Amino acid sequence: MTTEEMSTTASSISPDSPAPRRRWRVSPEKVGIYGLLIVAALTALYPLLWMISGSLQTLTELLSNDSFVPADPQWGNYVTAWVQGELGVYLINSLFYTLCAVLGIMLVSSLAGYALARLEFIGKSIFTFVILAVMIIPAPAMFLAQYKLLISLGLTNSRLGYILVLITAGIPMATLIMRSFFVSQPRDLEEAAALDGAGPVRVFWSVILPLARPGLAAVAVIQGLGAWNEYLMALVIFDDDALMPIQRGLTAFTSAETPQQQILLAATTISIVPVVIFYLLAQRHIVKGIGAGAIK
Amino acid sequence: MQLPARRLLEAPRRRRNLSRSARGNLLGLLFLAPAIVLIGIFTITPFAQAILLSFQSWDGVSPDTPWVGLRNYEFIASDTTFWASMRNVLIFGAVGFVIGNGVAIAMALAVNSITRGRVFFRTVFYLPGVLSVVVVGLLFSFILAPGSGVLNRTLEAVGLGVLQQNWLGDPAVALPAVAAVFIWFHWGFGFLLFLAGLQDIPKELYEAAELDGAGPWGRFRYVTWPQLAPVTSIVSLLTLLAALQIFGTVQVLTNGGPGYHTMVPTLAIYNEAFVNWRYGSAAAMSVVFGGALVLLSVIQLAITGRRSRA
Repeated sequence: MTTEEMSTTASSISPDSPAPRRRWRVSPEKVGIYGLLIVAALTALYPLLWMISGSLQTLTELLSNDSFVPADPQWGNYVTAWVQGELGVYLINSLFYTLCAVLGIMLVSSLAGYALARLEFIGKSIFTFVILAVMIIPAPAMFLAQYKLLISLGLTNSRLGYILVLITAGIPMATLIMRSFFVSQPRDLEEAAALDGAGPVRVFWSVILPLARPGLAAVAVIQGLGAWNEYLMALVIFDDDALMPIQRGLTAFTSAETPQQQILLAATTISIVPVVIFYLLAQRHIVKGIGAGAIK
Repeated sequence: MQLPARRLLEAPRRRRNLSRSARGNLLGLLFLAPAIVLIGIFTITPFAQAILLSFQSWDGVSPDTPWVGLRNYEFIASDTTFWASMRNVLIFGAVGFVIGNGVAIAMALAVNSITRGRVFFRTVFYLPGVLSVVVVGLLFSFILAPGSGVLNRTLEAVGLGVLQQNWLGDPAVALPAVAAVFIWFHWGFGFLLFLAGLQDIPKELYEAAELDGAGPWGRFRYVTWPQLAPVTSIVSLLTLLAALQIFGTVQVLTNGGPGYHTMVPTLAIYNEAFVNWRYGSAAAMSVVFGGALVLLSVIQLAITGRRSRA
């Protein structure tokens, strides 16, 4: 999809494109708009392209800044970065934390969202208010006391502690997304299932959750990105290199080993590969998820 | 004036309703319990504890936290680093708010007006937004480096050598440089929301405006802008909050330097606790700063709420 669009864009701006003449009636206004967009796109992409280019150069070549296209691509930089930086460990940790956080958030927030959307119970409006209100408590107001709390629970430098913090951070927004999703769904199917004698837990698990897939997808992508990129709590919680997620691992690598710049660029490039692939594949859901999270 | 027979008929039904509502209560609370328990333990408790801790002294290790009254607040009142960080973040928030939102809305209008390449531009514009603060910080610390940095070298190569700066080391340009990095990183978020908002505006409104003789500016002023108002207000708040809470990017880029010229409150709080081992005064800072952020959100939500009701 993206490459297709990319090629159409390329052909529409290249002067010798075989586009039919009728279509090539451009107003100066359109040229200006496309010019602006291309400048913005280059600004967005250039640092990343430079990073990839630098990661394939020798240090001398990189510091001389002569070439954008590496004369002799140093693929070995990636091997060095991977081995020296122990990136395998960090990436697997990040993958594990992200997966656990996303599954946890999906489960907890779909239960809560369903309760707030469909069930009648005492204190419903109070609970709704609480979930809305905690969204405005900012991280800077809490992370210290969260650290203190984790110490008293024996959950510092612990995978479980970090995952629980990630899940909690994602619950309010995910619950609101799920609630608005359930509100917009018809009740017929769950009522039919209930009439057939299925208990509420069964109805939830085998009727409601499968129907909620679009809502869950929005929650999953947005929370997945958030968990993958989380840094502050990872910094506060982990001392042990073997437990650190990639973001924390990258800074540990920079400060402890002082690797050469091209190696660090290779490490940084490796660290963004999973998230960029995920973004390109799940783009549509991401756009929808961000919209749902912010507007609802 | 009910007949006894009817009352008799209704009595058992009411009892059944009662038991059903009790079951509903149980079920609702059960479904909600995991969320409430986690939020209670990991959000509300620390929030309350932070306030408590701001009146105590704690070195981060020892189990006892003696009560010191208002001493932490007196201490931070005269702490120049903290207040410098508050001032910096205000500048930072204002720049991020005006320029970041300005770029976001302009690009959303531009992408919305084209037919070819929409998906391409949308994809590229949000790409920086999926990176982590660490990646952005590392990347730009190389790009903006004084000697070998690619920005200075490029300026020299194109004959603009006079514009070269020690971007992150010169007190005069460090804060604008960090703000520019934040905008590069963050404007795609507002852009996505503005674009979605623009696509939701009914075409009929533009047709009607055109029939009434509105030009491009008139259509923007009387259709786009008011229709986009709800999106604008939420994007503004979220951008502002993100700018005010900036931490990782600054820590990796400059660690608050040179001096305190790019210090921001979250980093000041972190350093006070994890570098200076003064958790009590760090907690006092987080109460002052966090309280200000909460107040900001509440005011914004109140204004939006009133506007949408009016």
